[in-house]
Order: sequence, then structure tokens, then C-alpha cells
Amino acid sequence: MYCVRKVTDDLYWVGANDRRLTLFENIHPIPRGVSYNSYLLLDEKTVLFDTVDWSAGRQFLENIEHVLNGRKLDYLLINHMEPDHGASIEEVLLRYPEAQVISTEKAFMLMHQFNFNVDGRTIQVAEGDTFSFGKHEVTFVSAPMVHWPEAMVTYDLTNGVLFAADAFGSFGSLDGRLFNDEVNFDRDWIDDARRYYTNIVGKYGPHVQALLKKASTVDIKMICPLHGPVWRNDFAYFIDKYDKWSRYEPEEKGVLIAYASMYGNTESAVNALATKLAERGMTNIAMYDVSKTHVSQLISETFRLSHLVLASVTYNLGIYPPMHNFLMDMKALHVQNRIVAVMESGSWAPKSGSLMTEFLDEELKTMTVLNEQVSVLSSMNESSALEMDQMVEGILESMND
Amino acid sequence: MLFQTTEQHEAFRTQIREFAEAEVKPIAFMLDKNNEFPEEAVKKLAKMGMMGLPYPKKYGGAGKDVLTYAIAVEELARVDGGTGVILSAHVSLGSYPIFAFGTEEQKQKYLVPLVKGEKIGAFGLTEPNAGSDAGGTETTAELQGDHYILNGGKIFITNGGVADTYVVFAVTTPNIGTRGISAFIVEKGWEGFEFGDHYDKMGIRSSATAELIFNDVKVPKANLLGKEGQGFKIAMATLDGGRIGIASQALGIAQGAFENAVEYAKEREQFGMPIAHQQINSFKIADMATKIRAARFLVYSSAELKEAHEPYGMESAMAKQYASDICLEVVNDALQIYGGNGYLKGMEVERAYRDAKICTIYEGTNEIQRVVIASHILGKPPKQQTGKLKAKGPITGARKKKIFTEGSAKDQVNALVEALKADGFDFTVGIDPQTPIIEADRVVSAGKGIGDKGNMKLIEALAHQAGAAIGSSRPVAETLKYVPLNRYVGMSGQKFNGNLYIACGISGAGQHLKGIKGATTIVAINKNKNAPIFKNADYGIVGDVMEILPLLTKALDNGEEKKPAPPMQKMRKATPKKEAPPWKSYVCSGCGYEYDPAQGDPDADVSPGTMFDALPEEWICPDCGEEKDNFIEG
Repeated sequence: MYCVRKVTDDLYWVGANDRRLTLFENIHPIPRGVSYNSYLLLDEKTVLFDTVDWSAGRQFLENIEHVLNGRKLDYLLINHMEPDHGASIEEVLLRYPEAQVISTEKAFMLMHQFNFNVDGRTIQVAEGDTFSFGKHEVTFVSAPMVHWPEAMVTYDLTNGVLFAADAFGSFGSLDGRLFNDEVNFDRDWIDDARRYYTNIVGKYGPHVQALLKKASTVDIKMICPLHGPVWRNDFAYFIDKYDKWSRYEPEEKGVLIAYASMYGNTESAVNALATKLAERGMTNIAMYDVSKTHVSQLISETFRLSHLVLASVTYNLGIYPPMHNFLMDMKALHVQNRIVAVMESGSWAPKSGSLMTEFLDEELKTMTVLNEQVSVLSSMNESSALEMDQMVEGILESMND
Repeated sequence: MLFQTTEQHEAFRTQIREFAEAEVKPIAFMLDKNNEFPEEAVKKLAKMGMMGLPYPKKYGGAGKDVLTYAIAVEELARVDGGTGVILSAHVSLGSYPIFAFGTEEQKQKYLVPLVKGEKIGAFGLTEPNAGSDAGGTETTAELQGDHYILNGGKIFITNGGVADTYVVFAVTTPNIGTRGISAFIVEKGWEGFEFGDHYDKMGIRSSATAELIFNDVKVPKANLLGKEGQGFKIAMATLDGGRIGIASQALGIAQGAFENAVEYAKEREQFGMPIAHQQINSFKIADMATKIRAARFLVYSSAELKEAHEPYGMESAMAKQYASDICLEVVNDALQIYGGNGYLKGMEVERAYRDAKICTIYEGTNEIQRVVIASHILGKPPKQQTGKLKAKGPITGARKKKIFTEGSAKDQVNALVEALKADGFDFTVGIDPQTPIIEADRVVSAGKGIGDKGNMKLIEALAHQAGAAIGSSRPVAETLKYVPLNRYVGMSGQKFNGNLYIACGISGAGQHLKGIKGATTIVAINKNKNAPIFKNADYGIVGDVMEILPLLTKALDNGEEKKPAPPMQKMRKATPKKEAPPWKSYVCSGCGYEYDPAQGDPDADVSPGTMFDALPEEWICPDCGEEKDNFIEG
């Protein structure tokens, strides 16, 4: 049975929701599920914009069939080849033998690599090309490394709809709602949208900035991403977030406290630190145990907040592995421009502090490590409490700059 | 082939030797004693055409060969090592880069008067942190419109102060090492171009050696020598030739000492005969002569190679290294032959003994000469893991570097006091100004900029109001003796680990800065805005200590007696925000690979420090093979 929604005149959402998948890209947990968005345009010609993950293939094919209502599919337009959108291409082409595929050179190369037979059915387009389907004329804008090299976005010159590929997407299944104004995005969706962007696209800030620059030159009426709600108003809200994330600027002044504690002593110390911060008026605090928190959440929160406290026990003379993993993920995603306070603990040779500092200085970009560091020998004592007071001073002072 | 000089060469030698004997030798002792430049003799040399010997007649030169020039340096050095290097630095270092790399306009404007001897040339490469390794150059030249703005300084510059035309090397692209260095022609007298003290040297005291100081010196674009980034290449090519001059100088000093020793040994009688005929001395003389002959062949041969446009870089390095090494041996033996008499001031061998030493040091130490020779034989050493190129931070660690420039001097002082109070400094308390430096919470220190001894009362007054002990830089204690030796601060003196250090008229030599690394807050007051102290300070005011110190003293005075200071507690040191690297990075649109100039691309033989723009057009992304065009700015 079909499940579709009209997006605007001539345009239908024919995607699907996935609440069964545990790990997106087999790495990021998605407790709220995810939607794979695909759009079908009924003009003089019929055009399908991207496909869905193979796991949602059956639903998707029923949706297309229903909206086409007996018409043939003329074009399959592929903005992005990643298998959560591209996996059903082959099946669509089998079912609609007259459909031609419109995409970029690199996308066709990828189709060959994925063993999709598109020979004789390809229309290769590039940045600036236009294509008319009757009433609707579209233009193509390349979006390399947002977040794959072949990606493009397609802009409908007739009605101002932007098919944005993975840009402006979010984790979370739609559950009947389709538009940003049908949900409370800032309350219910922004955390997933941030976790999606920062972990999937986060590394490619300069390329996102390049795309934002191009997007600012056209009059966008609607943004149709490949995941999450369709945006039909309040663009500034989301573009501002994208701008900050892709410039690696924090959204808010606040402190993320990520700690690694084996028996609770380090945890106890960061509790004291958080209390001192709150007493001094800094209440925007987010505190996570790195052993229990998925690193995608830690990354997302790092992008949100201006300050970072890393508190780690020393483990085998090194940084506690989950904390080390967090640091390596920050490096991989080009996290930068944050102020970091470092707290170490250990019972005979505490050195995680100097190791974390070295990692931040040498491996990450433009991370300011505060001079004030706390060293906890087994458990907090008066001397580490004194160091902690200094650290609080340092954090608060650096917030004023 | 007889390995002999030509008749013309020897005729020339006779001419220049007559001049040296008549005009330089008689005054050499006086020049040495007074640290005096032989102005008149140099003018006469110019009249004789000696200042442009190896340059073409069309530029006003004598059109002689390089060997003739080498003989000239040798013969001058034979009577006075200092006069020898005046000619060498002028011809090889000051004039050559303009001759070899200058445009026709630059040659007409600068080379012609140099070659005619109307002007004197000099060469400014060495800096405190850039000796053998020019990659450490810190003098900068920033392009602003039609001018480069030159800032920084050079040390140990031969002909410094007396020269009119300077070839100066400065960084135009920071943090990429030697590729970021460019060469400029700078004229004496330009605004902001000043000279430091004439150094009090061990030898070659008749040659002027000074520090060059550049403060916002406007250098017209037209005075860029070669292209931007070619500075290192120009410097190295110049020094290849310069070595012939130094080698000739060493040869001349040795020759002079040798002749004196032979003469003395023949006159001096002991045990009934001239000491020359005592075997210990005759063998010594034989060895000296042998060494000098070997050195002479090396020097003359490299001069001939240069003249014939044959490769001569290795040969000139051998000549410089060998001639100066044996020069030290020869002057040592010569003085030994003289015995106690040679140890007296006024004796030529005594002066030669002191003059000789510089030849193994300058224009590339003999250690560097061996590096050059070895690299010609063995090629480049295998690539070592050089690691990331890192922008070098200040010696005292990351500092706030807040310079107060708004408003009048008084406003600046008030802003400084406000900032210090905001940091938690309490100026109602004080300590004994004679508190040992290592125990003091605060120190007010005087540098050479303080001037006369009488001005120390300004330091005393400020120390009192700042609740500080009195310290100084090394020269103030050691040379000027304004304070006892145990009060100078620095690596070699007292280390300051307290909270507030106020440096007054201290420019910030490396060893001084190392001694204040531990200070919580450093304040700099100096009239030279490029003084290194400002890069190493938290707060600074650019101004004359005579004006600023009384204002600061007054601003800190609350009109009451200072209360005794509580025991020192180390204050918190603020963390300055980490600065992004000064270069741009570029990101591949095919895969997201980021090209980082700090790392280069070792697999493609792109060394660290290569800017993206400088990558060859055919360079491709090492990860995905995308072309250079498909990179965007990161």
C-alpha cells in the first residue's frame, strides 16, 4: 500500500521511513529512525529525484507506481549516489525501461562501480546546465564533498524548489509530518539534525561554505533534502546553523564536560567542577560519560558549545580508550576553534593530561588548551580542588573574550 | 701549465702592495686600537679603481678578473686584516648581488656608484636567530601598495654604518622557511633605518661592524632584488663568491704574519745564532710556507674558476675553509717565534693573531664550509623525517601581546594600570627593592635603553610604586655596572619566576627572555616597537622610558605608604587564544583531502613549507588524483 504526500504543485514525496535500522552508516545510532526522501515531479515529463535505501525498496516502488498512476517514468535524476539513496536505482530502471538517468560524470562512474547497468540511458549534466521537463526547468549546481565528490543539488527555476541532496538533512523518521512547520524543529529535531550534520558532513566545512555561497544567489522557496523534513519557511534558522557548523564556530557559550572514569573518582571530580561552574553562573553545561555515550553525540555537542572539558583517567600509561577515540573523531571531523580545559587522573603515573594536551595541540586545528589544568591523584583533594578553582577562573575568563 | 700568476697579476700586486705599505700599514695599529674605520684609505682605494675591480667597465668597474680582486684583498689583509674585509664585503657581498640579480635600472642606480667607489656596500643576512640557518630569518617585509615595509634587525654586519647601500634579506612569506625570504636594496638614511652600537670586536677592528635596525622602513617595490622568494638563492650565490674574498683575507693575514716571523727569526739570536736556523723554528717556517702555498693555490684556483664561469662553489668553500684554518695555525706559529715580544700590543703578529680568528667564523663558519663541500661530493643527505613545519612561538611562551596605542602616553599608561589591576595586582603593597630576584613577586628591570646612570632613579621610583625589586639586563649590570651583578635577569643570571616583570628599555635578547619565561605577566616599555620584548610580553607601551616611567610611577602611586606584601603566591596566567596558522590550506573537491603547507606532500617530493600556489601545475591530489584546479580554499 502506498504512502505518499504532496509537497507542492506537481511534486510528491515518495520516500520511506526506517525505524528498524539501529546504526546509520552502520556506525551512528538512530533511536528516532530516519527517512529516505525521494520526490516525484509530474510535468509534461515525469521525473524521479533520487531513490531510497534498498531496505525501503518495496514501499518506495509502490509509492512511485501510485503517483505515476499509469504514466511512464521519463527521467531518473540522481543528485547523490550514496546507497541510502542510490540502492534502488537498478530496480527503478528495470521497472521503467524508458527512463533515462540524469546525473553527473562522477555519479555515473560510481553507478558503474556499484554494477548498475545504465548504459545507453545516461544524460550527463554539469554545473550551470539547465533542463526542461515541460513547465518546470531545473538547473544543476555541483556540491562536491557535501559530502561525496559526485554530489550535486538541483534547483527548480520555475517554483524555487531546491533538491538539496544530503544538505539540510536530519536523522529522525517523519511519522506522517513532512514539513518543518509541522514539527517543533528547535525542540524535537535540532539535536538529531546537528548529530547528522556534524558526524556525516562535519569534516567538509569549506565545501559546505562554498555551497551556501552559491545557494545565497538564488531565491529558494522550498528545500527538499534527502533525509528529514522539507523546509518551506524559516530558512534563516537552519542556514544560520549550517553556517556556524561549517565555519566550526560554536552555537552557544557553554561547557561540554566529557569524562572518562573507571571507579567514579574522576566522575566525582567533574561533578565538583560542574557545580563550581554553575555556582559562578555558567549553567549551560552538558556532561557525558564517554564510556556510555556514543561518540556521535559527543561530536555533536562539541560543535554546539564553545568550551570543552576533557577529564580522563590514565589507562595503560595512555589516554582512556573511549576518550582517545573521541579525540580521534574530533580530528577526523576537523573540530577546531574550541577552548579546552584538561583534567587528568591516575593513581601512580597520571599522564593523560599531558597526552591529551599534546593531542589537542599537535593533531587538532586551532584548539586553545587552557593553562589551568587539574591533576587528580586517585581522588580529588585540597590541592586538586585549588587547581579546579583556577580552572573555573580560566574557563569563565576565556568566555568573556 | 705552471700554476703561476701572470705578469699583469704580479704588476698589480706590486701596485696594491705599495699602496698597502704606504697608506694602511702605518696607521693599522692606531685603527686597531681606536676601533676606527680607515676612511681616507678607502677613498684612495676608490680613486685607484679598487672598489670595482672585477666588474665590467660599462658599470664603471676596472674590468679585471676575479684573481686580481683576490690579490687585492690578500695584499690589504697582509698589512691589516680589517682593511682586507672592507674591500671583500664591499665587492663580494654589497655589490655582487646587485650585479648578478639586479635589473638594469637597479644596476645604474646602485651598482655604478658602488663600483666607482663613490658609495660603500654591505650585506645584511645574519640575525640573532638566523646564523648558519637562514630559515630562522625574522626580519619581515610586508607589501603595502608601492612599498615593502621592512621591520626587524640584522647583526654583525660588516661595513654596517659606513656603507650607503645595503642588500638586506627579509621574510615576505612567513613560516615557510627559506622559500619565504626575499632580497632588498636599502639605502642608508631612509626613515626608520638605524644602526646599533659599533661592536667592540676581538680583531679586524678597523672594519666597521654594526647592528642594523629597521622600524617600518619604506622600501620601494622597485628595490626588490630578483623576485619574491628568491632571497635565499641570492644569498647563497653571493656567499659562494664571498668565500673567495674571505679566503684571500685569511691568506693575506697568514702571509703577513709569516713574513714578519721569518724576518724576526733571522734577526733574533739565541744560543749564538739566529733562531731561524734552529731546527725547531726552521721546520716551523717550512710548514708555514707549505701551508700558505697550498692555501694560495686553492684560493687562486677558485678565483680562476669563477672568472671562467666554471662551477666553483665547492672549490671556494675549500679555499675559505683551508685558508682560514691554516691562517690560525700560521699566526699562532708566527707569534710563537716572536715569543714574549709578539705578545705585546702594537706588534703586527699580535694583531694578526686576533684578526685571523674571524676568518673561520664569518661568511659561513668552517663547519658550514664542510657541509657545502660534503654536499657537493655526496649530494643531498637522505630525507629525514622533518616533521611538521611549525610557526615558532615567542621565547617566553604564549603571551597576550597587548600593546596600548590609544590616546596619549598618559592614556596608555592608565590603560596599562587598569589592565594590571583587573588581573589582580594590588599596588598598595610593596617589597624591599633589594629582595633577591628569585624571591621577588615583582621586578622592575632596566635595560640599556635607560641611558645615563642618573636615570636609574626613575627605575627606583617605579620599583617602589610597583611594589617591586630592582633588576636589570645583563649589559646594565656587567658593562654599565648600574646594579650589582647578582641583579641581572637572564638565563645566565637570575631567573624570575614571580608574577610581574616590568622591562624598561630592554630590547629582549634571547638569554634575557629565557630568564623570564616563568613570569606570570610581562610588561614591556621600549621606544623600538620591533624590539623582541614586545612579542614576549603581555602588555606593552611603545615609548621613551624617560617619558613613560614617571607617568607609570605616578599612576601607581596612591599617595600612601606601601603596606608590607603578603607572602608571594603565584598568580594565574591567562591563556591566550591559539592563533590559526598564517597560511591558507586547500581542500580537494574529489575527496576532502586537505593540503597542509606545514606538511607538504612527501610522496610527491613537495617539502614542508611549500604554499599551495607554489605547487607545480601537474601536482595531483595524493589521495584521489584530482587535479590542482579542483581544490578550494579551506
